[in-house]
Amino acid sequence: MNKRQFLSRLGRALKGLPEADIKERVAFYAEMIDDRVEEGMSEEEAVLAIGSVDEIREQIVSEIPLQRLVRERVKPKRGLGAWRVAALIAGFPLWFSLLAAAFAVLLSLYVTLWALIVALWAVEAAMCVCAACGVIASAVYFIEGEALPALMMLGAAFVLSGLAIFLFYGCVAATKGGARLAGRLGYGVKSMFIKKEN
Amino acid sequence: MDIQLKRGLLDVCVLAAIKNEDSYGYKIIKDLKPVTDLSESTLYTILKRLESAGMLTVRSAEHDGRLRKYYRITERGIERIEEFKVEWKEVISIYQFVMMEDKHE
Repeated sequence: MNKRQFLSRLGRALKGLPEADIKERVAFYAEMIDDRVEEGMSEEEAVLAIGSVDEIREQIVSEIPLQRLVRERVKPKRGLGAWRVAALIAGFPLWFSLLAAAFAVLLSLYVTLWALIVALWAVEAAMCVCAACGVIASAVYFIEGEALPALMMLGAAFVLSGLAIFLFYGCVAATKGGARLAGRLGYGVKSMFIKKEN
Repeated sequence: MDIQLKRGLLDVCVLAAIKNEDSYGYKIIKDLKPVTDLSESTLYTILKRLESAGMLTVRSAEHDGRLRKYYRITERGIERIEEFKVEWKEVISIYQFVMMEDKHE
């Protein structure tokens, strides 16, 4: 890939960003390529040294705040014509409810994800509390001289603490996985605002 | 390394690279190569951040028939480097303490 191809691919991959941002970034990479060529690299080598368009795009998308992408997408390219304004107003019940539904779906996905994780931790906490109560109950029975129920309580407490330790690792893993998933979800939403390289 | 920490360190690294004379993108990357491998995209983000924080200024100058952007450190940028030096003196003494206690074990 030569410099011209690389820069035009980069420009296309960043569509969705503010126009001025794209220009500035493309100029930045052009300068980087020129400086390497000046040092004796061929254009192809210089482009290779900079990395792939996809990598650059991914890094930019993960750094830019979502609000900016949305604002850029919502901003009309040329002023709104009278008929478009009229269509927007007439279509308000439709597009607004669609938009609200889309946001509601995303929000509920997010809430469900964290609710699951919270529920897991709640189970974990309940097991710990029950195990502790079992030990106390067993002590009380023992003091009162009832050996059999005391033994049973102690056994139950041990089983519960075993389960709690086991589940703890599950909870930690689920939380980590949930955080990663939430991150991917955010990246996915942002990606919708930037055209994919095809 | 912690991302927040690394980001702060790289900011100071780039400031140091332009402290003694104005520099341009590719030269900064080359100068920092012995210390850290900085990608173009990362450098771009750092330069933008430092510019909006008022720690450097940018000017375009002609070089070999094309435009090149040169970055110059500001007073605020120099202050940041000084702050960094003070902060890290403390970090280094903490590090030495940790290492010493580790040996005694």
